[in-house]
Amino acid sequence: MKGKNNNSPWSLQFNTAALVLIPAAVGINYIGKLFAGVLKLPLWLDSIGTCLAACLAGPVVGAIAGAMNNLIYGLTMDPISTVYAFTQAAIGIVVGLMAYYGAMKNVKGALLTGILGGFAAVLISTPLNMIFWGGTTGNLWGDLAYAAVLSQNASTWIASTVDEIIVDVPDKIVVLLLVMGLYKNLPKSLLSLYQSNSKIESLD
Amino acid sequence: MKSMSLYEEKHSFLNKLSPITKMIYVVAAILIPAFAGEKMLAVGFMIFSMLLLMHSKVIRRTFPILGVSGFVVLTVLIIQGLFRAGNETVVLDMGPVAFYKEGLLFALGIAINVFNIILCFCVLVLSTKPSDMVEELVRKGFSPRIGYVFTSLFQLIPQMTDRMSTITDAQKSRGMETEGSLMIRMKAFLPLISPVIMSSFIDTKERAIALEVRGFNAKNKKTFLNESTKIPVDNVIIIILVVGIVCSIGWRIMTWLR
Repeated sequence: MKGKNNNSPWSLQFNTAALVLIPAAVGINYIGKLFAGVLKLPLWLDSIGTCLAACLAGPVVGAIAGAMNNLIYGLTMDPISTVYAFTQAAIGIVVGLMAYYGAMKNVKGALLTGILGGFAAVLISTPLNMIFWGGTTGNLWGDLAYAAVLSQNASTWIASTVDEIIVDVPDKIVVLLLVMGLYKNLPKSLLSLYQSNSKIESLD
Repeated sequence: MKSMSLYEEKHSFLNKLSPITKMIYVVAAILIPAFAGEKMLAVGFMIFSMLLLMHSKVIRRTFPILGVSGFVVLTVLIIQGLFRAGNETVVLDMGPVAFYKEGLLFALGIAINVFNIILCFCVLVLSTKPSDMVEELVRKGFSPRIGYVFTSLFQLIPQMTDRMSTITDAQKSRGMETEGSLMIRMKAFLPLISPVIMSSFIDTKERAIALEVRGFNAKNKKTFLNESTKIPVDNVIIIILVVGIVCSIGWRIMTWLR
């Protein structure tokens, strides 16, 4: 189904179903984070919706869903998280592209997508962490690593990158594996709904 | 159903201002100190935001928001105070570890920046209805389709959280364990979240149809339910803020050229 599309993954022409997928995706992100909190899991799991939307409807929808997710956090809970909208958007783009080229069909591909998505997050989050927090992330394990690296006389940039890798990459790998499981089990009738750029024969 | 928005109607001065004015205020409060490179300006904006919030009687609601980031600022304070490169002057000696002046000052700078951003955001968020914000943006040329997506979020997320508690109860009554070792809790995650995901996807299908039959994709110019609420003070404030931003950018360029 994917890969046979004639149009580019960057098409801005999405149908209504793909558009209403965005709030659903943000809702799923939100619920994922809540459940992770309720179950006291050591991960965020707050990008399941972004990744699913990216798989289903492509990188542009994924990016919008990701960015909107953080805008909502910013407006309702934690204003600083608004700036991390860029990070979530990057994750959406990477996952959307990987899914478009067919990576989300097996565990290996999902693993690779998770790692790439995680590093995309690191690439964008680290400068933001440096600007707003002096390099730390507020996550216990990541910040312990930050302190450990810093006490070895390494630069704050290296420490911050290590911190962010510890926080983001394992989380994204777990998320993408979950997403692959969900994505493969979605009913076909639902999948076809969001593929606004697949070829449709028109009768009129 | 619990509302997500932090907005509260207090009939205050801030409530009467146009959302656009408040958005520009947020931009100004972040950009002007950043461009001018002067921490005291950020402190000034912080105090001003606080006065505005007090005047609108919503200062109480900023405390939980400050608390979320306050904790992170505390960890920054500890880490930078102990480990920052260039730490020389000991302020507080506590046996094996010592807090240094340079690191603490750096952390103070971060705290000022963070609290300034939070407070100016609060000025916007606590006094503006999200739907008004979106409507005003759409009026200024923002895509109405994306605008709809944004407003619908504030209805959809509380709905989904409600559904979440139903599903948790249902799965628990079938004997699923949600407490215990990490493995048990990990295993519980998928059966909890997948029903929410599936049902929300099926909902999107129905919502898409419902929207399309109501002319969601119509290309005509959209009209608005509410009238624009701009008051004369808005324009004055916008001009002052924009002049402030331009001046700070000019100042930055001047210092670079010198």
